[in-house]
Amino acid sequence: MEHRKDLSKVQINLNWFTRRGVFYWPVSIMGWFIMILAIAFAIYRFMAIDSQSHSVSDTLINFVFNLLLIGAAYAVIAYFTESKKNDHQ
Amino acid sequence: MNMENEQNFLDQMENLKVPDVDTTPHQQKIKITIMNAERSAALGVWLIAVPCFFLFCVIMYYAFHIKSSWFGAMYKLVTGLSKNPYIDFLAPVVLLILPMITIIINTLAITHVHYEKRTISQLKYSELNITVKIKWLNILLILISLTILLILLSFAMTENISIQN
Repeated sequence: MEHRKDLSKVQINLNWFTRRGVFYWPVSIMGWFIMILAIAFAIYRFMAIDSQSHSVSDTLINFVFNLLLIGAAYAVIAYFTESKKNDHQ
Repeated sequence: MNMENEQNFLDQMENLKVPDVDTTPHQQKIKITIMNAERSAALGVWLIAVPCFFLFCVIMYYAFHIKSSWFGAMYKLVTGLSKNPYIDFLAPVVLLILPMITIIINTLAITHVHYEKRTISQLKYSELNITVKIKWLNILLILISLTILLILLSFAMTENISIQN
């Protein structure tokens, strides 16, 4: 029981990102790694979409959709790993 | 005799117990919400960006009859997602679950619920206080997410009815 109590007090504070407005900026090596990975994946998706699509609008619409999804995934990771300085505001 | 009565009356008045009045101001209760409002708003913006983009394209395509290939391609993309067995879960997740998560996290960020059992002059009663913080960005995100859900659910219902007929 005591052990369970101790575990509940453990707070994970990874400090990989910091938030400026709605954007998350990396502040650690892991943060930078995730950001570079997200950018590299976005470039890869752009090249893959561009090779399959028949027009510029086709490429752009698919890419923007993918870019927003990558952005949402990046934001979710950053949300859970950002430094929590001013919580409960 | 009269003087004695007067003295007694003065003694009584001096020893009269005056009820204590707390002159210190009533301390304001700190209302801590479950989640941080600014953090929830930042995540909410990213979560509803995709459904907003999708709805913008669909509205432009159908409501304003802008038959641009840009908007048509978006519709084709989402219908194409449901045909692919590996990513067929993506369309409902993006269009329904993400706005729902946005509503939940932003509601938790601006509401404070307090339940209390009180007793005032032998009268017992329970009190539930729900306080809503006025954080405009969070409220706006909740309203946008609710609109997205309403549009998509009404679309799904009308589509179902028209197919059955």
